[in-house]
Amino acid sequence: MSDRTKIILLLLPALSVIGLLFFGGLAIGLMRSFNYMPVIGLTEPNLAAYVAIFSDREFYLSFALTFHIAFTSTVISCVLAVGAALLLRRAFIGRVIINFLFQLNLTVPHLVGAIGILYLFSQSGSFARLAAEWELIARPAEFPALVYDPYAIGIILQYVWKEVPFIGVIILANMQTIGEDYESVARSLGASKWQSFRHVLLPLIAPGLSSASVIVFAFTFGAYEIPALLGANYPAALPVLAYRSYTDVDLASRPEAMAIAILIALLSAAMLCAYIRLSRRGMGR
Amino acid sequence: MTHVSLQDLTKVYPGAASPALDRLSLEIASGDLVAILGPSGCGKTTAMKMVAGLLSPSAGNILFDGRSVLKDKPNERGSVMVFQNHLLFPYMTVAANVGFGLKMRGVDPVQIAQRVDRMLEQVRLPGLGGRKPSELSGGQQQRVALARALIVQPKVLLLDEPLSNLDAHLRLEMRDLIRTLQQEMSITTIFVTHDQEEAVILADKVALILDGEMRQYDKADMFYRRPADGAVARFFGGRNFIPGTSDGASFEGPFGSVKLPPDAMAGRGELTFRPENVVLGGCGPNQLACLVAQKTFLGTQTRLILNTGGTSIEMTGNPAQFDGVRVGDHITISLPPDTLWMLTA
Repeated sequence: MSDRTKIILLLLPALSVIGLLFFGGLAIGLMRSFNYMPVIGLTEPNLAAYVAIFSDREFYLSFALTFHIAFTSTVISCVLAVGAALLLRRAFIGRVIINFLFQLNLTVPHLVGAIGILYLFSQSGSFARLAAEWELIARPAEFPALVYDPYAIGIILQYVWKEVPFIGVIILANMQTIGEDYESVARSLGASKWQSFRHVLLPLIAPGLSSASVIVFAFTFGAYEIPALLGANYPAALPVLAYRSYTDVDLASRPEAMAIAILIALLSAAMLCAYIRLSRRGMGR
Repeated sequence: MTHVSLQDLTKVYPGAASPALDRLSLEIASGDLVAILGPSGCGKTTAMKMVAGLLSPSAGNILFDGRSVLKDKPNERGSVMVFQNHLLFPYMTVAANVGFGLKMRGVDPVQIAQRVDRMLEQVRLPGLGGRKPSELSGGQQQRVALARALIVQPKVLLLDEPLSNLDAHLRLEMRDLIRTLQQEMSITTIFVTHDQEEAVILADKVALILDGEMRQYDKADMFYRRPADGAVARFFGGRNFIPGTSDGASFEGPFGSVKLPPDAMAGRGELTFRPENVVLGGCGPNQLACLVAQKTFLGTQTRLILNTGGTSIEMTGNPAQFDGVRVGDHITISLPPDTLWMLTA
């Protein structure tokens, strides 16, 4: 038996699971999005579900909101993570403890984080009560709406809280591998601290930063639970919209749910490609 | 052209028991190339980084043309450091690497392009500006690193073991290139190396650092002819150290009395002379009768271990010179007085 055959046979169990679950699920979803659901009598494939969602204003609002959540969370997380990594790579007393605390919430599930955001930032949460207690506002309900708000501030806060250490850990490891010699060369050649960061360190960490931010972007664009818990009812993020259609009492809504899900997959793939291309062009300059 | 003065430069790293560099003082004349020589870990790169402003000294001062530069940031000092492992920016082309320092200074891009082209010609890499560093050989990368440093016309050029990653023939080529460019541009240059041959060939003066402490700062030939102490002599390949007493004019040791040069030290100590300075045959003063104990062919040289007066002497010379000499032979050698040197015990 050739080595190639052996490798294929060894990989077969894993490939079968991936093939069945991922591509199988995708294929079923795709068929349903084309209005093909024989169990409810839909046997003629067509584009009706796509036509319906593209002619619905709510879809566009949901898309804009979802993009805003993913893009803003990713950008803010990247900026804060790079800043944190720059601080944490230096030697200082207590660095081990600070580093531990920085990474601690990597172990906390997103849902727990979302509940924490509710407790802290909602209009009945701790900060609202404290602000009322300290007479900064007359009553807790006057606290700015940071949760269930149209700008998705609560959702973004939760994602930033969770993703900063995720990106930070990757970037910190990246920086430690690169070392400080390249920046020393730049400084010696006349670059200021900012120039050596902008023209030397940033391009060197760009591949790691791009990879990490792509993961965060893809996750935040397609995630359901946090927008469902912390988001406004209207417009809702795309995954929430898809779930609502899917769980509608009318089974005929399912093709629309599947069409939204397929579009989420396609749009996030397209945006990730664009994002990678832009970030590489921008940082490599 | 910048005169560099290092005054009692000391570096103690946090938590270290002893200083990495202990009171290094050097005066480097404008346009000179000085080698800081020493084994790995002796503190020479630390000294270089402090001159570049990349490390702060624990004590001491660094002056360029009489002005302390300790408070100047690395990008304001006018010194440029070329690192041992080139450290070309991998995502930039060769031209962008070479022009980096000019770009940071806000020089017009058209002017940068012209100067980069000229600089690449000077380092014998014309037409390679569009390549990425990964497409260059080690020697070419080192020349790009040198070009990147020289293009900004630094006051002081700092070279950290620039030849150590190159193979033998590239080292020779690069050595000549460094010397030629340094002399053409009259840039005060400090060159760190652990290779005494490189230091001797390239440098106007050599500072030898052992265990974080400078042992001798002198012209290269003086390390062979007048080493400051036994450690310096041994570092430079000294093999003969004969204990005895000197009265300033002659040395009394295990093989009798030998005549010393006029400036020899008086008192107890060690007589030292280099193996290549021992003369085969009995001509001139200081003749000694010896037994050939060992003969080793070393390629371009032959080494003899000789016994005389209960002590051993090592001599080396052209292999042809020792054709008739065999182990067990009795031969006569002479020690020319001007090649002898007394060291304190």
